[in-house]
Amino acid sequence: MNLKQLVLFFLFLCCSTSLFSQQTRWVDDILPDSLLDDPAFRICYNEDQAIQYFNNGKGMEYEGDKPALTDIFHKQYKPVASIGQTGFIRIRFIVNCNGESGRFRMLCSDLNYLPVQFDTKITDQLLAITKSLKGWKPKLWKESKVDYYQYLLFKIKDGNLIAILP
Amino acid sequence: MKLLLITCFFFLSVHLIAQPNCNVYLWNGDTAQYKACQYLESNIEKYYQFSKNFHLVIDSALLICPRFAYAYREKSAPFVKSGNFTEWKKNIDLAVTYDSLIYLPVRASLRYKFFADYEGAIDDIVLLEKLSSKLVEYTSNGTYHLEVVKALCYKQTGNSAKALAILEKHLLTNKATPGLYDFLHLAVLYLQAGRYREAEEFLLLQNKAYEYADTYFYLAKCYKAQSKMDAFLDSKNKAAQLYKIRQKLTDPYNELIDQVYLSDIENL
Repeated sequence: MNLKQLVLFFLFLCCSTSLFSQQTRWVDDILPDSLLDDPAFRICYNEDQAIQYFNNGKGMEYEGDKPALTDIFHKQYKPVASIGQTGFIRIRFIVNCNGESGRFRMLCSDLNYLPVQFDTKITDQLLAITKSLKGWKPKLWKESKVDYYQYLLFKIKDGNLIAILP
Repeated sequence: MKLLLITCFFFLSVHLIAQPNCNVYLWNGDTAQYKACQYLESNIEKYYQFSKNFHLVIDSALLICPRFAYAYREKSAPFVKSGNFTEWKKNIDLAVTYDSLIYLPVRASLRYKFFADYEGAIDDIVLLEKLSSKLVEYTSNGTYHLEVVKALCYKQTGNSAKALAILEKHLLTNKATPGLYDFLHLAVLYLQAGRYREAEEFLLLQNKAYEYADTYFYLAKCYKAQSKMDAFLDSKNKAAQLYKIRQKLTDPYNELIDQVYLSDIENL
């Protein structure tokens, strides 16, 4: 391994370690932020008890299933005609044991998975619609309703919404 | 029993693909990768892959050998599950850089499954075909052979004719062992092409392996298109019945291609 590779490798390690702050236990945990979050939103249990949406084996759980969720986006999202506004937008958040959602965080990339900034006319719409969703089902884990991390991933092509995952 | 076998199939396939044999590195004279592999094997199972300790173990293995592709793949795994595409891609690209033959199929199958990146998945598979004439048997989650992934990606990009040709060659000409949902996907392509006789044939074959609500949904569509109304109603009712007991296409992470919902069945 030459010097350049060694430097790049240590930079990689530094970046990967910084993915965890002092307080977080898991990859992509979302800490509360008073500047970003609705103060009324509360999780039901301790931070370290929130599970991931797939942990109970049932995937995304929404009233009316995925068609109900995608219908909302397709009805409410107004395409922003703009060549080059193409890539992925992920909004990750927590659904608490009552099915309420909060702590929304956004991540954007181009189709090569490199970070980019999208036109706020696109991101503001997606964030507002995501925040307005009321159909999240509380997840059951060992017969109790728990808090969990969920995300929605939007594939955007020239400002049009072409896919919603998971 | 069938469900148990299916569960075992998933578990074994994931397990077999996931764990490298450390001795292979030793036989090839690569002691650094052997040591990194052994270190990882001894320490990683204690921790959940989302945890800080899991990543510390991986980082330590990479300090022993920064070329250890498997460690980058393991590091990427929680990021794909949290939808963090930038971190996932950074790590899986390093795995591909250091072991393209093993990790190109992994990257391809995750690109289409988690990010609807069908074009990127096709690019990876085409690149793999240039590097090796024989595609690996099963992809990282054990659900699909890479030929089936390729076909599904072409279908999702609007090239159904190519998708059908790939699946026919794989399942009918080469007589590959069909995967869990392969006949269903083949039948849906026939159905969409208006080839009802073949669609029905493969939907019934899919039912012989295991009955899903989704299969009956497409059977109902097939019968309706041929004005066989009694068979249509029977299949529609059976689809709804199976859906309500969750005997349907399912995946803990993502929606599957050709998966249907109760509203689809009710609106038939």
